[in-house]
Amino acid sequence: MKRLKLSDILITIVIALVFGIIYKLWGPVYNLVKPFGLHVGDIVYGMWFIAGTVAMLILRKPGVALLAETAAASGEFLVGSEYGLSVLLYGIVQGLGTELVFALFRYKRYTAFVAALSGIAAAAGSLIMDVAYGYILDLALWNLLLLISARVLGGILIAGIFAYFLVEALEKTGVTSLVRPASHEDFKALDK
Amino acid sequence: MRVGVTNLRVKYAGASELLFNDLTLHIEKGEKVLLLGPSGCGKSTLLQVLSGLIPAAVPVPMKVEEKMIPESTGYVFQDPDAQFCMPYVDEEMAFVLENRAIPRSEMKGLINTYLDKVGLHFDDPHVEIATLSQGMKQRLAIASVLSLEPDVLYLDEPTALLDPEGTKDVWETIKKIDDDQTMVIVEHKVDHVIDFVDRVVLFDDSGTILADSDPETILSFYKHKMKEFGIWYPGIWKEHEHGLKRETKNALSVMTIEDLKGFKGKKCLVELPEAVIHEGEWIVITGENGAGKSSLLLSIMQVLKTTGDVHVDGKALHSIKEAREKLAFVFQNPEFQFVTNSVYDELAYSMSEDVQNRVTTWLQNYELLNHQHQHPYQLSTGQKRKLSVGTALFGNQRILLLDEPTFGQDAKNTFKLLEYFEDLRSKGITIMMVTHDPNIVETYATREWIISKGRRVSDRNVNRGEEAVVHAVDS
Amino acid sequence: MQLTLDYNETWLHRMNPAFKLVFFLFLFLGLLFIHNPNIITYVTLLPLILVAFFTGHKRKLLLILMIPFLLLFVSSSSSMIFFGQGTTTWWKWGLIHITEESFYRGLHIGFRALNFALLGLIFALTTRPVLLFYSLTQQLKVPPRFAYSFMAAVRILPMMVEEFQQLKNALLVRGVKKEKGWKRITQSITLYAVPLLSQSIRRAHRIAVAMESKQFHNGKRTYYYETRLSKFDGLFVLYIVLGVVTMVWLGLEVPTYEITDVRNSD
Ligand SMILES: Nc1ncnc2c1ncn2[C@@H]1O[C@H](COP(=O)(O)OP(=O)(O)OP(=O)(O)O)[C@@H](O)[C@H]1O
Ligand SMILES: Nc1ncnc2c1ncn2[C@@H]1O[C@H](COP(=O)(O)OP(=O)(O)OP(=O)(O)O)[C@@H](O)[C@H]1O
Ligand SMILES: [Mg+2]
Ligand SMILES: [Mg+2]
Repeated sequence: MKRLKLSDILITIVIALVFGIIYKLWGPVYNLVKPFGLHVGDIVYGMWFIAGTVAMLILRKPGVALLAETAAASGEFLVGSEYGLSVLLYGIVQGLGTELVFALFRYKRYTAFVAALSGIAAAAGSLIMDVAYGYILDLALWNLLLLISARVLGGILIAGIFAYFLVEALEKTGVTSLVRPASHEDFKALDK
Repeated sequence: MRVGVTNLRVKYAGASELLFNDLTLHIEKGEKVLLLGPSGCGKSTLLQVLSGLIPAAVPVPMKVEEKMIPESTGYVFQDPDAQFCMPYVDEEMAFVLENRAIPRSEMKGLINTYLDKVGLHFDDPHVEIATLSQGMKQRLAIASVLSLEPDVLYLDEPTALLDPEGTKDVWETIKKIDDDQTMVIVEHKVDHVIDFVDRVVLFDDSGTILADSDPETILSFYKHKMKEFGIWYPGIWKEHEHGLKRETKNALSVMTIEDLKGFKGKKCLVELPEAVIHEGEWIVITGENGAGKSSLLLSIMQVLKTTGDVHVDGKALHSIKEAREKLAFVFQNPEFQFVTNSVYDELAYSMSEDVQNRVTTWLQNYELLNHQHQHPYQLSTGQKRKLSVGTALFGNQRILLLDEPTFGQDAKNTFKLLEYFEDLRSKGITIMMVTHDPNIVETYATREWIISKGRRVSDRNVNRGEEAVVHAVDS
Repeated sequence: MQLTLDYNETWLHRMNPAFKLVFFLFLFLGLLFIHNPNIITYVTLLPLILVAFFTGHKRKLLLILMIPFLLLFVSSSSSMIFFGQGTTTWWKWGLIHITEESFYRGLHIGFRALNFALLGLIFALTTRPVLLFYSLTQQLKVPPRFAYSFMAAVRILPMMVEEFQQLKNALLVRGVKKEKGWKRITQSITLYAVPLLSQSIRRAHRIAVAMESKQFHNGKRTYYYETRLSKFDGLFVLYIVLGVVTMVWLGLEVPTYEITDVRNSD
């Protein structure tokens, strides 16, 4: 298996910390859009899964999603998140979700579809944590279902599709050539 | 100990041609080698190959028959901010010592020893790196690299962003390093290093070695080649044949400044009580690192928060938007003015007529045609600078504000740009330009401003090449 | 995060950062086992006292930092209060169904969230990242590759703020036209987010290259800062143990609400 190089780790963590700050700023946003408990606002929750997917789509190596999501959560925690250390636990579980999906595709497919799936998996991870943390199973059934669907939809839209297009735009700046192995054509050109 | 590659080939992903085609270079222990060549010929790339960074840390496709890479290498990069991983001076120095597993009790002493070696003196080295000047940062970088006790030292334009004082200091520092230290150097400011190196390797623009010998031989037998490929050599400015038109146009004032102050937050970075600027003037702004030169241009451009007045053609400027109509602007850091994804689009941006023709001509003229589809970030240092200057020249503004438009350039492009500015100037365009190069002041300026600690301390008219007449000095 | 904030050092700053982290983690988990709203209400006083008197930061800053906490309290408790299950109905209107159980459960969640928030704030305000990562490598054997990457990355963030400024100015100078409506959002992403991210990735890469060229490796290394446990760690444990015992006792003996367990009994 490809081991993470120092540059992979550092890049992952930088991306993660950038999103960690966005995560922190996202807290008030989330709290504003879900007034009085209607869970439609949970659509924006997907932002909290995005670091894992973005980092994985850029670096394409095992462990990156988990590292990114954990690091993003640590960053969020270190700048004084109102969710305190719980973000770290959430981050790990969500990152595991994202990581798992890419692992299922044996780290070979990096399409919008896989990204969307990884968003769903991260959403699932966050819901598992919510069960332990927020008594969500004690919600009225319709409300619980609303929560789950909003969460999953958010995962697909933000952590899946949006992340995919963001990375596509990044690829155009040529930055990904720093971290991805060179193509066979380029190596062949050396032998001419 | 020897460093070397035999039959090296490198190809950047997506590039149309090989960068090096069977390049062979061997360096002996204790040698000090200067790599000279035009911008974009591959000097930085070669340094990275010789230090093992390519392909270990940077995955660039390469092939080599045989290579010898030393075990421990020290690398000083051009950008001072991209080489530190810790926030404080002592912590950064300690980082290297930790890597070498030096006992903690010896660290404090060693840190001071190495800082002393490069002439950095602090009462307590627990100083935030962010508060140091560029020159100090670069010396810190050298100190930390020295503490590695590397087999080979690689220096890639370590003084590109420094003022003359800082440049001199840094090179003095480097020259004091032990005699048997092997060094590979890339530097455009050849005057500082040519006496110091034992060997010069000359490249042409396709990355082929033109000559490889001691400095005297190179300077006496290969000057014509250096001329042909536009490479810097000592004394080049004296031979520089400029088509300077001596007569300055009849002075018509185009810009007046009154009580201008530029702020960052509440801090006043620069102030200029009054100035009248005329058509066809070429004002060169000099001063040490951190003096406030960039801040002055940014204030005129209304980028900083300002108080006071700037009038152009009798019209007051209040916002960047208004300033943009009248002034063309080139930032100090080229990377942040690119707004598109390719070199071509970058030039074509905001151009309306005859786009293809004008862009292609420019690209051809400045040797970027082969790179037109590349992303601007993927250019070499000098190429980036060229492109960022290019983007500012297509408007119809009558005043150009240029912040170090020639740093990192080879001789050919430096002169080409200067000639072009001169051509514009003789047509009545006004140029205000920040530079650290005294030669430009001497040869091209019609007026020089010296900035120190946020104030203009000297303003003199320069009679190009003739005796300068001091015409006004603010206290 | 302690970058250049102006503050006085207190005994909380002198705790061993890794110990602090682990101990806080246990506190978090411990909070999950409190189901009695009386107890959690009292327990909240413990971190509140620390934040107010022992973080060494200015009161004004502390107040600003705590504003989002109120919003959080409302938003995290409200959904449970309005839509939670329960048997003793207080009020019903359409989908909204407030019961005694759901009300206290909501309150409980709110207080728990507040505890988390305060603890997090204490940690953030009293821990220097560099020392945290040194301590993580020494006490918890976190591989240096990760710890030092964190330290380097923390350095890059303030540079990004600077770069954002520069970029904004450059775009104005280049005369980028602002789009309207939805296009505005995609435009700001391509014009701001993409270059900033791309540049920071490049910078991260360069720094990683520089670190490697300085012979950074995962093998044996010494440490410039040696981090150890000290009496301050003991002091903190003592504060928490005594505090929790007192608050639990208060919660049981001087209850303010009638409910003692917020879990759904069926
Ligand atoms: N990441 C990249 N992808 C594609 N091409 C690249 C990349 N980096 C550099 N190049 C190209 O490789 C060539 C050599 O670049 P290099 O930076 O080595 O030049 P240089 O000799 O150091 O120039 P300068 O004096 O301007 O710094 C240039 O033409 C540049 O456009
Ligand atoms: N964003 C900022 N915030 C606070 N201070 C700043 C900022 N930018 C610049 N300064 C300070 O303003 C002073 C002038 O900086 P400026 O960049 O104008 O110098 P300069 O003359 O252009 O230097 P150089 O030759 O290194 O480009 C410096 O001392 C610098 O520390
Ligand atoms: Mg270079
Ligand atoms: Mg400047």
